[in-house]
Amino acid sequence: MNNDSATVVLDHITKRFGEFTAVNDLSLAVRAGRIYGLLGPNGAGKTTTIRMIVNITAPDSGSVTVFGKQITAELQDRIGYLPEERGLYKKMKVGEQIRFFAELKSVPGKEAAKRADRWLERLKLTDWKGKKATELSKGMQQKVQFIATIIHEPDLLILDEPFSGLDPVNVELLKEIILELKAAGKTIIFSTHQMEVAEKICDDICLINRSRKILEGSIREVKRGFSRNAVALRLVGGENVLEDRNLISQIKRNSDGIEVLLAEGATAQSLLKELMAAAATIERFEMIEPSLHDIFIEKVTESA
Amino acid sequence: MNKLLAIIKREYLAKVRTKFFVIMTILGPLMLFVFTLVPGLLMSMKTGDDTRIAVLDQTEGAQLSEPIRRSLLKLDRDQLSTKQPGIAESVNSNTKERVEKAGKSFSGSFHVEQVDLNGRSVEQIKPELNSRIGRNELDGYLIIPPDILTNSESKASYYGRNVGDVFTREQIEDRLDSAVRRQRLIKQGVKDQDVDALSKSVDLATYPISEKGEEGHEDSGVAGFAMVFIIAFLIYITILLYGQVVLGAIIEEKETRIAEILFSSARPFQIMIGKLIGVSLMGLTQLVIWAVAFSALAIYVVPSMAAQGKNINLPHLPPFFFVYFFLFFVLGYFMYATIYALVGSMVTTSQEGGQMAMPVVFMLMAGLYLAFPIIRAPNSSFSFWVSMVPFFAPITMMVRIVSQTPPFWQIALSLTIGFATVLLLLWLASKIYRIGMLMYGKKATIPEVVRWIRQT
Repeated sequence: MNNDSATVVLDHITKRFGEFTAVNDLSLAVRAGRIYGLLGPNGAGKTTTIRMIVNITAPDSGSVTVFGKQITAELQDRIGYLPEERGLYKKMKVGEQIRFFAELKSVPGKEAAKRADRWLERLKLTDWKGKKATELSKGMQQKVQFIATIIHEPDLLILDEPFSGLDPVNVELLKEIILELKAAGKTIIFSTHQMEVAEKICDDICLINRSRKILEGSIREVKRGFSRNAVALRLVGGENVLEDRNLISQIKRNSDGIEVLLAEGATAQSLLKELMAAAATIERFEMIEPSLHDIFIEKVTESA
Repeated sequence: MNKLLAIIKREYLAKVRTKFFVIMTILGPLMLFVFTLVPGLLMSMKTGDDTRIAVLDQTEGAQLSEPIRRSLLKLDRDQLSTKQPGIAESVNSNTKERVEKAGKSFSGSFHVEQVDLNGRSVEQIKPELNSRIGRNELDGYLIIPPDILTNSESKASYYGRNVGDVFTREQIEDRLDSAVRRQRLIKQGVKDQDVDALSKSVDLATYPISEKGEEGHEDSGVAGFAMVFIIAFLIYITILLYGQVVLGAIIEEKETRIAEILFSSARPFQIMIGKLIGVSLMGLTQLVIWAVAFSALAIYVVPSMAAQGKNINLPHLPPFFFVYFFLFFVLGYFMYATIYALVGSMVTTSQEGGQMAMPVVFMLMAGLYLAFPIIRAPNSSFSFWVSMVPFFAPITMMVRIVSQTPPFWQIALSLTIGFATVLLLLWLASKIYRIGMLMYGKKATIPEVVRWIRQT
């Protein structure tokens, strides 16, 4: 991977807390203008990794390079970070909160107020501008936090579980904005353990488990590497063909039909031929890619 | 720098807009008055009905019964000038009428009955009196021995329901004392009308002498003493309250996890110091409001009261006093607020914070209690050393300055030690604060904190 065009480069970083190693010799590169999924189960070391990228904590060893420079407090102004554990000042008005967070990122107060109005409008929160945070629902608070994250127009956006707790309508709204920001050339790091979301939105992914990287690459590459010769079927008859262990190694039945894994040496063609020979009615026959979810489970179980 | 200003501004506005600020600003002076003066007033106030006392006079012809009764009932007007306990006297010393009123409300009053011996012995009468006390018909009785007028070692006795009421006890003793002494003098041939003149207590007028050797106006010292105590208490209570505000603010940022967003935007030290400064400005705003109100009182109300013949003696405060007050307030505030900030970053809930802050409160309280020995001897070596201890200095040195201003070098030394301590505390805080604020779910232990300091 070409590190020159990378927005974030982690070079062999390690972070320990006492005896516990939170991040172990992790290297990765986030390419500019892409959405990078930082995936992993709870406690894998995602949050610690992100904290090192945004200069909240420093690695014990290794280096963090952002925008081609060693990370410093000055570079923080070009980063927007929405932590998973996030909050607002309870007694402060929404408009003032956003303005404060913008000022903390060196946006002048007047400009911050203008932008805040625009974003509140976009996220349908204009009526709530003068309300205190405690009067807002959890979903609304989350949208306010999202605005506070992007108000200073950061070149690098780090979103840790941005959709958790949002209803589908608001998830779509936020997704739309995230894709717009990507189109505008911003780099986005997206941390989640919800694979369905990651699959739809990410260009590249990195899978971390137990403080180590276990997989990295573009979604295409990753899926290609995991091609497991799976076929989705919906049949009437042909049951005896499915029993043939030379053809099929595994059967998974779900409400929509069955999913089979071809045995070693068998191909989809040979399965189709056998089914037709058995005079089964084939309503569906589809080669399927493994989902990110399956890859995640397989990889995490494997490395455990 | 702009980030620091943004943090200070947010904190200041957030705190000034709270109900706490408004209420404290209005009620603060009232609370100060209540906490410093009212306990004394309350202690000397007797609630409930008159104390019913029986007097069992064993002297020849029960000759003391009537004088004791008169004295207890305060019918004897001339007795008024003799010593009365407590504040009742200083509050009402103008007219006899007011004293009598005040005597009733502040010192309580008595209902006196005489018990005739009728040839019986004391031991025969006591059971009857005891059972009357048991039936709540009587509160207590006095037994006057037969030789009380002739034998100076002779003791009167009081039997009563509530002997824990030391004020009533003291009053009885006091009034009995004056009645007996009076009768002793009369018995020695002193004329009735001369007794008062002869037994009148001696007044001591006090005049302060300044360092320059100038003689001041007569000053009872009471106002000065009250002033010293009010200053000590003011510093104590403001530091305590504003320290709690800091603690609450820090815990809020930790509980709501705002700290994580803040740390991704500004340096942790900037955030902490911004908070401390923001709250300190709120405190100073409050103090300035109080100072202005106090000055207005001094400039407008006092002269108009004086014009109506009511003199209120406001203690005179020289301008340098305000400079010192500002310096020592700032010193004390930053010393304790930094500790509170540290405590806040180490705990997870306000309750835990309150517990962990207890030693800090005790330290402040110790400073307040030390004010008492210092008032008595402001320039003793004890006072000197105590005012050099940074954690006590904000109160102890201010007490010295108000009561008897020490040499400038001592004040300067105390300030230097104090501010050096603040710097040390801030340095410590900068090492612990960030790690503490990002640690969720459990309270930091002291060994952990020591490790953080070593590691960073």
